Amino acid sequence: MPVKILLVEDNEMNRDMLSRRLLRNGFEVVMAVDGGQAVAMAASESPAIILMDMSLPVIDGWEATRQVKANPATSSIPVIALTAHAMAEDEAKARAAGCDDFDTKPVDIQRLVGKINALLGKA
Amino acid sequence: MSDTKNQNLSAAQEHALLRATLENMAQGVAMYDASHRLVTWNERFRIYLEMPDEFLGTDRTFSDYIRYLGERGEFGDADIETELKKRLAVLETSHSFERVRPDGMVLEVRRDPVPGGGFIAIYTDITERKQAELAIRKAKEDAESASKVKSAFLANMSHELRTPLNAIIGYSELLAEDAGDRGDSASLADLEKIGAAGRHLLGLINEILDLSKIEAGKMELYIEKVALAAAVDEVRSLVSPLIEKNGNTLVIECPADIGALRTDLTKLKQCLINLLSNAAKFTKSGAVTLRLSRYVDDEDAPHVVFEVRDSGIGMTEEQIGRLFQAFTQADSSTTRNFGGTGLGLTITRHFVTMLGGTITVTSTSGLGSTFTVDLPDRAGVAPHEDHVIDVDDGMRAASAVTVLIVDDDDAVHDVLSATLGREGYLLLHARDGAEALAVMRRTPPDVVTLDVRMPKVDGWSVLGVMKSDPELQNIPVVMLTIVDDRNLGFSLGASEFMTKPIDRNRLTALLRKLTSSTKNATVLIVDDEPDVRGVIKGTVESAGMKAAEAGNGRAALQWLEGNAPPALILLDLMMPEMDGFEFLEKIRKVERWSDIPTVVLTAKDLSERERSFLAERTLLVLSKTGQPIGSLGAALSALARRGQAVKPQAKE
Ligand SMILES: Nc1ncnc2c1ncn2[C@@H]1O[C@H](COP(=O)(O)OP(=O)(O)OP(=O)(O)O)[C@@H](O)[C@H]1O
Ligand SMILES: [Mg+2]
Repeated sequence: MPVKILLVEDNEMNRDMLSRRLLRNGFEVVMAVDGGQAVAMAASESPAIILMDMSLPVIDGWEATRQVKANPATSSIPVIALTAHAMAEDEAKARAAGCDDFDTKPVDIQRLVGKINALLGKA
Repeated sequence: MSDTKNQNLSAAQEHALLRATLENMAQGVAMYDASHRLVTWNERFRIYLEMPDEFLGTDRTFSDYIRYLGERGEFGDADIETELKKRLAVLETSHSFERVRPDGMVLEVRRDPVPGGGFIAIYTDITERKQAELAIRKAKEDAESASKVKSAFLANMSHELRTPLNAIIGYSELLAEDAGDRGDSASLADLEKIGAAGRHLLGLINEILDLSKIEAGKMELYIEKVALAAAVDEVRSLVSPLIEKNGNTLVIECPADIGALRTDLTKLKQCLINLLSNAAKFTKSGAVTLRLSRYVDDEDAPHVVFEVRDSGIGMTEEQIGRLFQAFTQADSSTTRNFGGTGLGLTITRHFVTMLGGTITVTSTSGLGSTFTVDLPDRAGVAPHEDHVIDVDDGMRAASAVTVLIVDDDDAVHDVLSATLGREGYLLLHARDGAEALAVMRRTPPDVVTLDVRMPKVDGWSVLGVMKSDPELQNIPVVMLTIVDDRNLGFSLGASEFMTKPIDRNRLTALLRKLTSSTKNATVLIVDDEPDVRGVIKGTVESAGMKAAEAGNGRAALQWLEGNAPPALILLDLMMPEMDGFEFLEKIRKVERWSDIPTVVLTAKDLSERERSFLAERTLLVLSKTGQPIGSLGAALSALARRGQAVKPQAKE
């Protein structure tokens, strides 16, 4: 059974592109377009991992992560924060919100897959 | 004056000369005798203050003049009697202030007592200077707001630029994967070029954004404990494609016990990536080495040194000289051959500086380069908000706040008068420590600015005396210094610290902050020297704690018998009757005293045995000579807090 990823991304092109590349790497992908939907789908879809864009409409990625981590039903799902440019404030804020790892966009797919596997305990 | 008098002049001649001098002065002058009657003045005084002729030279006093000016509306809405009292209170001290007259004229008023009683008042018209200052300030504010707008624009733009770029890079990679699967190598090569160009452009946009943030002062630091091995590992995975591209090998020499460093992780990574990518870019089929090492500096602060060494093209002396400047590359052919904007090192240097470190380079043309970054552990770097003082707030300034300026340097008085006078402060001037203390006792100021280095009685001594005098200890003190004896100042109770040359806005803001301020635990001070006890007592009390004193170990034991255990004991070692060692031995055997935190203050060089004796029985050893006493203030409050936190638990 393929590993299910919840991809949270508001930009349509980025969502389309990243989901296709994840599919190609053998993952199953479900998608949310804003923070609210992300929190709901984390519970309803029980993904193995969440890739979270940080600047999102409705509720932003930091708050969405906090809510996912505050809910006992979803708190064990690893979250990887994705932001535009490696900015100290973003990375530190992401970790403070409870994100398990951090990567910058545009993603280097091999590196991202490496991080996903590491969090899922796969070599 | 008397020793410069020409013996050949008659009284009449001398009078005429004085008259001529007065009338030719660019200032208004008025002299008052011991009973405050106006005795001499010049025409400018009359003009500046628009004094009616019949009012002058009669037996009216200074107070009559002030009341007259007040009634005429010269002080705006301010209460006339209050204005008068303010002035009378400082007549025995040299003082100065600025006042705006109803017609807009700005007057600088200076009054100095004259020997034998009375005083002289000097009025300078500084309207033009004020207008020029205002124009400069306005121009500066305009420029700053333009720069803010520019950096906000750049931040937004860069987001707008990056979003489509993300798509370009992402889709080109997607297509490249497709092409690879199909075995379409022609398309694959072209698609990879699109991707590479996109990433390059993105890198440039990110660098420009970083630089504009740095220039706008918007770059923030997040200091945290960084596990170095993990950080280096991440950097390695990020740069390895670049390294391999030119057929280089990357060697990482990182001791297994390298440990952690408190610094900004993202900025550290960015610096290392910049240096490593340069090394990779300017080296072909060679070796790039990243080496980490630790050392401890003179002040016991840990440092980590990151060394990036390559066997590449290297640089000439001249090229090195131009390094670290924005938009400059070693020579103009670099861009053609290697690409890049020449921002990488500029940004790296800014980051390293922000992190309190240094970056140096050595290079030999044709043989390779070594860039060395030395970063200190940023222990105790408070969240930046703590240091922010609202300058605008300071600018609004309180009138009627009295500031005593203590400095032996006239230039400092001038600079501070120009800055603070404008804000409506009333300034008192003292040229040395003794005079400063006399002025304070006579006319307690709201704030004191104190020069550290003064002949005879220096700033520290004045501070020490102030903090041990109940009348003076609550007056906030701003130490002005060129050297960083910052810690010593705080330990002696300085409320704030400033270095010379003086940042005027900060000073103004600081004074605002200090003109209102105030916590309760007992600290037992055991020392045989009353002076030392006095200084420490001042420190303790100014930290909001109560101080109890004992002259030796025996007296301290007696005090302990009769009182509740103190939050902290400050202990000298060399004392008559019972020394510190014996005292410690004794109290550690008594249950209820055994866990009172104890700080040893010592001027004694300790033997190894004494050191270990103390290490087992005290929290920390501070030296009375040299710098370590500097941490006393911080240690005090930290320890008292710890003492208080420990106690309730002990009761349970
Ligand atoms: N390891 C090195 N060996 C030789 N020359 C170097 C090395 N590192 C830097 N330089 C010289 O210093 C210049 C400035 O470096 P810097 O990193 O600031 O800019 P850049 O690499 O040209 O562009 P970018 O902004 O993309 O980093 C380089 O162009 C190069 O000429
Ligand atoms: Mg570079």
